[in-house]
Amino acid sequence: MSVVDTIEPVDRKDFVPGVRGTDKPPGKGDLAMALVFYVYPFIRGFYFSLTRYNLLGTPHFIGLDNFTKLFQDKLFWNALLVTVEYVLINIVFQTILAVAIAVLMHRLTQSTVIRGLILLPFLISNVIAALVWFWLLDYQIGLVNGFIAAIGFDKIPFFGDAAWAIPTIAMVNVWRHMGYTALLVFAGLQMIPGYVYEAASVDGSTEWQSFWRITLPLLRPILALVLVITVTGSFQVFDTVAVTTQGGPGNASRVMQYYIYQKGFTEGQFGYASALSVILFIILATVALIQLRLLRAGESDLA
Amino acid sequence: MARMRKKLGAALIGVAALSLTLTACGGGGGSEGGGGSEGSAIDTSNASGDVNYWLWDANQQPAYQACADKFKQANPNINVKITQYGWNDYWSKLTNGFVAGDAPDVFTDHLSKYPEFITQEQLVPLDDTLTKDGFNVNQYQEGLADLWKGQDAKRYGLPKDFDTIAIFYNKKLLADAGVKEADLQNLQWNPQDGGTYEKLIAHLTVDQSGKRGDESGFDKSKVKVYGLGLDGGSGAGNGQTQWSMYTGSNNWTHTDKNPWGTHYNYDQPAFQDTIKWFASLIEKGYVPSVAAVTGQGQSSIFAAGKYALTTDGSWNIGSYYGSKGIETGVAPLPAGPSGKRASMYNGLADSIWVGSKNKPAAAKWVEFLGSPDCQNIVGEKAVVFPAIPAATDKAEAAFKAKGVDVTSFLVNVKDKTTFLFPITDHASEIEGIMHPAMDDVLSGKAPATSLSDANNQVNQLFG
Amino acid sequence: MATTTAPSRSAGVADTPVKTGGKINAGRVAAWAAMIILILITLFPFYWMIRTAFSTSKSLFSDPNSLLPVDFTWGAFKRVFGLATPAEAQAEGGSGAAVNFWLFLRNSIVYATLSTAGQVFFSALAAYAFARLRWPGRDKVFFLFLTALMIPPIFVMLPNFILIKNLGLINTFPGLILPYFFMTPFAIFFLRQFFLGINKEIEEAAKLDGAGHWLIFFRIILPMSWAPIITLFILTFINQWNDYFWPLLVGANDKVRVLTVALGVFKSQTPQGSPDWAGLMAAVLVAAIPILILFFAFAKKIVNSIGFSGVK
Repeated sequence: MSVVDTIEPVDRKDFVPGVRGTDKPPGKGDLAMALVFYVYPFIRGFYFSLTRYNLLGTPHFIGLDNFTKLFQDKLFWNALLVTVEYVLINIVFQTILAVAIAVLMHRLTQSTVIRGLILLPFLISNVIAALVWFWLLDYQIGLVNGFIAAIGFDKIPFFGDAAWAIPTIAMVNVWRHMGYTALLVFAGLQMIPGYVYEAASVDGSTEWQSFWRITLPLLRPILALVLVITVTGSFQVFDTVAVTTQGGPGNASRVMQYYIYQKGFTEGQFGYASALSVILFIILATVALIQLRLLRAGESDLA
Repeated sequence: MARMRKKLGAALIGVAALSLTLTACGGGGGSEGGGGSEGSAIDTSNASGDVNYWLWDANQQPAYQACADKFKQANPNINVKITQYGWNDYWSKLTNGFVAGDAPDVFTDHLSKYPEFITQEQLVPLDDTLTKDGFNVNQYQEGLADLWKGQDAKRYGLPKDFDTIAIFYNKKLLADAGVKEADLQNLQWNPQDGGTYEKLIAHLTVDQSGKRGDESGFDKSKVKVYGLGLDGGSGAGNGQTQWSMYTGSNNWTHTDKNPWGTHYNYDQPAFQDTIKWFASLIEKGYVPSVAAVTGQGQSSIFAAGKYALTTDGSWNIGSYYGSKGIETGVAPLPAGPSGKRASMYNGLADSIWVGSKNKPAAAKWVEFLGSPDCQNIVGEKAVVFPAIPAATDKAEAAFKAKGVDVTSFLVNVKDKTTFLFPITDHASEIEGIMHPAMDDVLSGKAPATSLSDANNQVNQLFG
Repeated sequence: MATTTAPSRSAGVADTPVKTGGKINAGRVAAWAAMIILILITLFPFYWMIRTAFSTSKSLFSDPNSLLPVDFTWGAFKRVFGLATPAEAQAEGGSGAAVNFWLFLRNSIVYATLSTAGQVFFSALAAYAFARLRWPGRDKVFFLFLTALMIPPIFVMLPNFILIKNLGLINTFPGLILPYFFMTPFAIFFLRQFFLGINKEIEEAAKLDGAGHWLIFFRIILPMSWAPIITLFILTFINQWNDYFWPLLVGANDKVRVLTVALGVFKSQTPQGSPDWAGLMAAVLVAAIPILILFFAFAKKIVNSIGFSGVK
């Protein structure tokens, strides 16, 4: 059986020039591909969450047992707490810095060099960024602690202390993503026509007022995009933890995605890991839905 | 819209059919390929074709490529293809390969992973094939071959190499402290006052103002050089390079029997007293804390001149030698209350995947890897200690030629002061319990007696 | 809902900074200071990477906090380009594994370009459908696409791997590209938000003239959205270029192995081993160069194309 039978090519004959009122969605091929590569694995994964399965044998159906186990698992609640802490720190700093950078870029300079420089951290992978910061922030031989000690303060075990682990990981990811997020916001800023600002400054608005009254509201669709994407991505943090703390010290950085991976691949409890993943999915979908509704992301004041 | 619905419907049916096909043919390396799955001997007499072989240590790849070349001369019909993946990628690719049916014919296996592979039925038992081919399974260093026998007493791998633990020291830091290298040959430790071992470590520890650990005015919050390093953390349940050499020389074993014990002994006083003593070294400032070592590896910090001594494994010899400005020496482990020293003893082996499509050639390659012809070549490259004693001697000579004296590692084998790495079921779950528990004890957040509670949790896994 | 603003000028001025009469005021100075601090924090690790790339791996920790290369050498770059002999490599602390650099570079370019082009194009089509066309269940299907972002990777990687294997496409470019060729939820979401912001009057004018959806899409919407589309292209390209785990699973064979996977040889190969730092940093820097070239080639276009976003 060949998968090509399920791919629908986009039908040109659906689009008849000159016929008004017929709205056919282009991209039905996209829908089919989505079904094969996204929906099917998800349904399969959801099925696994109802089984006991170690990937190599056959799945044994056990109904909702994984979910009852999950709600009593203190490591699950720990993972949730730790991940939420991470998301809050990450998103708050990343969004504020990204908007600040984008506005600064927009107002101060058109230099593409600066734009390129800001984007640099995004060019290296999550894993490499984590490796480099893991060294720079090392307690004994890292440059940052060397500097801290030199100016007379106590060294900080950035990754080794339970209270510092998650904030450090969050800030490493802020470093990597703020330029990228800034670029998204910047693209949104560029879509705002200049005459809007001109009109405002003619009316006597200061830059600060223009920012709050004009820029931010008109940025709403883009901010919605940025927030949904970054929050969703943030909840799924994995690479940085895998490279640096592996869930430690203790369980201080055992975020959801890492706990899922640990259960599913390292401990061979793929059914349970699937159940955890389903819960994570539900949380993400709910959060995204709330964000989209609150921000009225389906509308734009520009159009 | 109707058209779209129809197309959606067609797509859904297609997907359903596809998923049925996949569950039928994908997922799980069943017993394909000739024989060997139920204990019947593999016929290696007409072996030919390709054999895929994986390993993770890039430093060993040239040695095994040389083995493959030699193998090709003797077996021109068999083509061995060696691929190397780094440690993390190796296990991901292997597990994914098992599931998708894409795993290599032969691969380097590790003691901490192989029990789970046996449970998942991914390894081929070798006994009948070895008997049929008249292979000598008693030619290895004592105890190594038995490590690779499963709970069903079947053999799942042929030993390749072994490793032990010893003390690496910084010659200059010793000289600065007025310590002679010969002083390290007969160290003693005990859980009460640490013996000559703790005295040495204290003396080698230096704080920022130059005060040594055994002098008054020593400031343990401002240590410049630690007398003894700590390898990456608390060592979780096995403590191979962190504390197993102390507990092992205090008349304690991890499990009731090894391999395949079903009861752990973390509640015994011999263990808890040792850990309490070791935690006291950290508390006194002679050994860095668990938080301080979450970061770069022990050998890197040693290379920065921050540790006078470290306890580490022979697989890391390469990392300790050749660092600029550091002259390294090796000394044997201290002896404990048992009167002897104790080094954990670990080894690698090569296993055949149950889904291999060329089991005859794979078996022939595995036999070659386990034979003197190959192990001598590996020994001469001075990267690891091969499992066959004659090859180990070759390795010792080759290391000496490179300026590394490995007697302190091999003395454990000669004096029979080795004990096996603990092999049981539920390894990863035990790690999940012991890792945070040990972290807490060594960080001073919990007393050593809290490990009895962790021990209960571990033993409950065995029912 | 949306407010229709009457445009009175070309939107080309969106890009020029608002003039404050050329005065250097405290606000401007503070803004520049903030900008400079952010740039320094962003860049410092790169300086560190460059400094490490020119050092000798074996000597690195003898002077861990030095801001200058330790034992300056070109060795790391030689290892990356596959020009060092195994003996030379091991002498400096590398592993001696061979790197067929130019082949893997070609593979990366093929993989990244094709998958990005496919994603951007098909996502644009889908995004237009979600932004402008009205059909029943539109918003629900959009949310469905969006939730694809939230599907845990462990659900998706393995089945896709099995599927590609069953199609016989392991170690081929089609196998690498297929699951991610047609669209990604991020790209659809991204473009949809921008398409929402495009002035409807232009489209309505075109419809009055009898233009169908294809025409409107290709002749009007696409050109007006150059800035977000190029931004998306660059961001997607970066993601595809840096993709590691999927090409590791599906494309390990030399003829399709991409640069990121090949350069994994510089990471630590053994547990508790340290990576070949100099080689790794050199590898990362070299791998980033094609993306930088791409970015600077297109960055000017983004600036110059702003004129399209308004109504003349």
